[in-house]
Amino acid sequence: MTEVRTDATTTGPADGTGAASTAGTTAASAAGTRSTAVPAAGAAPIARKRRRSLTDVLIAAWGVLGLLFLFFPVIVIIVYSFNTGRQLRSWDGFGFSSYENALSNPTIVATIQVSILAAAGSAVVSTILGSLAGVALARRPSARWVGWLTLLLGLIMVTPEIVNAVSLLPWFVDLSNTWNLDIFAVGQVRLIVAHSLFSCAVVTFIVRARMAGVDESLEEAAADLGAPPLRRFLDITFPLMRPAVISGALLTFTLSLDNTVLSSFVSVAGSTPWPVYVFASLRSTLRPEIAAVSTLMLGLTLIALALVGLVLRRASRTTGNASGGLAATLVG
Amino acid sequence: MAVDAAVRTAPAARTGRRRLRWSIGMLALPISAWLVFFFIVPFGLILWYSFGDKPSLYVTHSNDVLSLDRYVEAVSPAFLQTFGRTLEISVVGTVLCLLIAFPMAYWMATKLSPRRQGLVLALVLIPYWTNFLVRTIGWQITLSPEGFLSQGLQALGLRDGPLEVLYTMPAVQLGVVYNYLPLMILPLYVALERMDHRLLEASRDLGANAIESFRRVTLPLALPGIAAGMLLVFVPLMGDYITPSVLGGAQGGMVGQMVAGQFSRAQNWALGSAMAIILMLAILATVVIFALVARLVGSVLGRVQRVDLSAALPQQGGAR
Repeated sequence: MTEVRTDATTTGPADGTGAASTAGTTAASAAGTRSTAVPAAGAAPIARKRRRSLTDVLIAAWGVLGLLFLFFPVIVIIVYSFNTGRQLRSWDGFGFSSYENALSNPTIVATIQVSILAAAGSAVVSTILGSLAGVALARRPSARWVGWLTLLLGLIMVTPEIVNAVSLLPWFVDLSNTWNLDIFAVGQVRLIVAHSLFSCAVVTFIVRARMAGVDESLEEAAADLGAPPLRRFLDITFPLMRPAVISGALLTFTLSLDNTVLSSFVSVAGSTPWPVYVFASLRSTLRPEIAAVSTLMLGLTLIALALVGLVLRRASRTTGNASGGLAATLVG
Repeated sequence: MAVDAAVRTAPAARTGRRRLRWSIGMLALPISAWLVFFFIVPFGLILWYSFGDKPSLYVTHSNDVLSLDRYVEAVSPAFLQTFGRTLEISVVGTVLCLLIAFPMAYWMATKLSPRRQGLVLALVLIPYWTNFLVRTIGWQITLSPEGFLSQGLQALGLRDGPLEVLYTMPAVQLGVVYNYLPLMILPLYVALERMDHRLLEASRDLGANAIESFRRVTLPLALPGIAAGMLLVFVPLMGDYITPSVLGGAQGGMVGQMVAGQFSRAQNWALGSAMAIILMLAILATVVIFALVARLVGSVLGRVQRVDLSAALPQQGGAR
């Protein structure tokens, strides 16, 4: 009995609020059983409590370990970005030389510019296409074309990136050489188009999820009052879907920054995006500058993520749990 | 539908509404055109190339003679060996992701306050939004024979020689489990977060122990999340090209690299196309089989559950 009690008291504080709340529910359910069940089972609730708090601790430990696992290589990269050596992999000493070298290296700066431009372009394209489709899907869930469009979007989600990449390369070559569409010889355009494919599917699902719960009667009222379609969209539909559009745009921006496989196939000499530069330097030497730029970009991504969180939190005042909403929009 | 019928009184309103309906349907047109032009047509193009051949050293493809020879050429022993390894890494990786992610998602969804859930969710997402390639390089630094882990293990006397994990299949396995873990955590979390906790309390109050209520309540409710997570992990894993390039070396190659190699180094678009089509078909087949099995298991489970419930109810009543 004493062993049981020490176990419960030592595990309680370690878990913080989580343990406190579960202990509360245990007590409540224990009280519930005691009031209805036979009083002879007095020892049972204590035994159950001990077992539950032990598994609680194990699960919490597992969760924290999992988070550490997820952060581990990121921390390695951040630490190694302060490596003053010539090679990223072999630690030489602590210093900021890699940051100075990275920012004064015109090739690296150019690749980052290409990446950011491509990300902005694909965010614009996929947000416009995805938002329109998301509204259409949310408003006409039983129309005949819905099945086809969902199939198309689903196919994009399940096509491995490499298959997408190797099929886009010959198509761009064809379009620019055989069809004389010179615009598809421009590296930046190719990157934007390639990155927009998966992204516009993501935006579509985010916007559909948002608009599925919104009543259509406002737009119908505006239509009955004689508002033209564009006016209706700008005054009513867009304000309703704004949180989904903003978070979709930011997500597609980061998705594009992250893209390596598609970019390495479709990019043209002279417009190499950042991940392709990193991928190419894997074959020669990985220098600490790569870790330095990655650390800076992680900072940028964190800002973008914080913005998404903020937008979703504001939206969640009307739609519910913010974290669940974020996860749900990511999963589709 | 009923509302529609009710408002269909004035003919003017009806035409207005019909115009609205038609114009909203039009909003899906741009994305459809975009995706057909930049996704379906290019895919059709490599499907077409896969029936051709590479006539000479300086030409990437030709469709003058159509045949299935590229498919025969593609399923060479080297390809099949790599394909088998890819399948093994993918299946093992998906299962490992599930085993690691489930307790994590369960912890996040049921043991944390809503405020903390948001924080932990952000923590799960932050590494995921760091560049995929750079994170994999982080593992390369860690696992390298002259890296800090290897030196630390040797200093502690846990290893006699340098670490020999990098550029092997286990390194790729670790890399893919790491890279795709968030894709498993998220859908599981969503499924478990939606779960009604009163169901668990009810099952406890009805006398089920922890394992029993997990098996009877939590697991069935998490099944959609499990299925979505397995799909989200398995599909990109099968086509992964970055992780084996960074961590795999010669021993840990995957199919994605072979496809890429035919397009970039060998410049044999016909053969590369055939390989890409085979990869795509394999993934689709696996997904379809998985969906069928999941549906079968689901229906069997559902039937068992229903029978259990109806059998258990009178007993409970009798006991009271």
